[in-house]
Amino acid sequence: MRRQESALTRWLTYGVALAAGALIWELGARLTTPTFLSPFTVTVRRIAEYFSTGELGRALESSLTLFFTGFVLAAVVGVAFGLLLARLRLLRVALESYIMVLYSTPMVALIPFILSMMGFGFAPKVLVVFLFAIFPILYNTVEGARSIRPELIEVAHSFRSTEWGIWRDVLIPYTLPFALTGIRQGVGRGLVGMVSAEFFLSGSGIGALIMRSGQDFDVPGLYGMIIIITVLGIVLISFGRALENHFAAWRGLDR
Amino acid sequence: MSAPDIAVERAANGRANGLRALLLNDAAVRIYAGLAIVLVWEIVVRLFAPPFVARPSGIAVALPAVVMSGAFWDNVGATLAAVFEGLAIAFASGTLVGLAMGRIRAVDRFFEIYVSGFFAMPMVAILPLISLWFGYTGAARLATVVFASFFSIVVNVADGARAVPVEFIEVSRAFRGSAVSRILDVILPASVPYLLAGLRLAAGRALIGAVVAEFFTAIPGLGYYIVFQARTFHHNEAFVAVMVLAAAGVLFEIALRHATARFLPWYRRGERGA
Repeated sequence: MRRQESALTRWLTYGVALAAGALIWELGARLTTPTFLSPFTVTVRRIAEYFSTGELGRALESSLTLFFTGFVLAAVVGVAFGLLLARLRLLRVALESYIMVLYSTPMVALIPFILSMMGFGFAPKVLVVFLFAIFPILYNTVEGARSIRPELIEVAHSFRSTEWGIWRDVLIPYTLPFALTGIRQGVGRGLVGMVSAEFFLSGSGIGALIMRSGQDFDVPGLYGMIIIITVLGIVLISFGRALENHFAAWRGLDR
Repeated sequence: MSAPDIAVERAANGRANGLRALLLNDAAVRIYAGLAIVLVWEIVVRLFAPPFVARPSGIAVALPAVVMSGAFWDNVGATLAAVFEGLAIAFASGTLVGLAMGRIRAVDRFFEIYVSGFFAMPMVAILPLISLWFGYTGAARLATVVFASFFSIVVNVADGARAVPVEFIEVSRAFRGSAVSRILDVILPASVPYLLAGLRLAAGRALIGAVVAEFFTAIPGLGYYIVFQARTFHHNEAFVAVMVLAAAGVLFEIALRHATARFLPWYRRGERGA
């Protein structure tokens, strides 16, 4: 990355790029049919409308509740289970190939099963977010666990370290940076899970607003809600990235 | 599954190391774990779930009929063809844009915020818009696949092109290499590890994109097959399709891993993956 740049130049650049993009969008939309592309100004006005009626606030609240319930569950279970696999080599060997398979399986494919088994409601949607988010977390934690040098644990043993001491001083510090890489990936996947759940299970939150705008041919609303979900994605993923970078120095990587 | 055969073979290999090695080598442990997972799944579903829920014995019974039917393979073909076509488009265009962003300051400045924004956006969200543009057709699925995979390739290739050591460029200049040769012979090969990382990520997203687009637009393919079978309570049949999707994902991952190990033995994975 370009560290020599000052933060001011960076934000100015972003500002100029965004303004130019908005201008191109506005002109492009004015010149083509509004059925496909609604002008930037109209879209912004529509977002403001959604905002002022409180509809957007309620949708965001519902979406974020769903996201964080599923995501926190996935992070807790994923990291805890990953650490357990770091300690028990036999269990890790037994399960790691299956975790790899589940990591590369597109979890969306399970949504129709979840729908017909659990129906509509909050729990099945949380399960979707959970399933989307847990495998990157588990996979990366196990990857970290695999890279722990056995000597470290042996040395801890020879110094008569307690079991808790091994966890606190070797396993957790060693695996945490990897787990955080997984958590960052999990944020992105969890968001996809959140929107998929809101689309294909019972409609709620931002997903339902997007879906409804599409069905009503409310093109400005559709663009507006897509912008909102994009901003939400950027905010949450930057948060995950900041968390990861904070601990990456620990792992000795210059990311 | 020919688990017993494999176990016997392993047993033959491991005989020298005694009984313990024979029963507890890594491959054997994996097989036991697999059998245990299947067994637990079967028992839990039999005891607690309604009869239509997929379980291993049910899937085994349903498997031959599904695999023998031409319609199933038509669906597999439709989905995988869209995934490969979309990946190829995203790969070619994404590499171009990524190289431009990585090497040309102005391009990077303009596109950076858009590319990272679209990269962070949950791509499912764009489905209603894509179906508005392309209708409920195969083109909508292809567009979803391209959209889902394009940005992960751009982001990674741009990172790779940016990370090319200055010395490489200087040497190329010192030997009066042309700009074209600099791109083809220096920058592109130096970015290959990043490109592969991007491609791996893109492949996963492309598969999700194709399935989700089929859910949404109900065009023939594995995604639609799953929805249709699940809605009519044929969970075992639907699960065969999930297994095909999982196999596609895993095969692609393994192929890329092998390609990395074969052609880029100096590159260690895990550091960057996105």
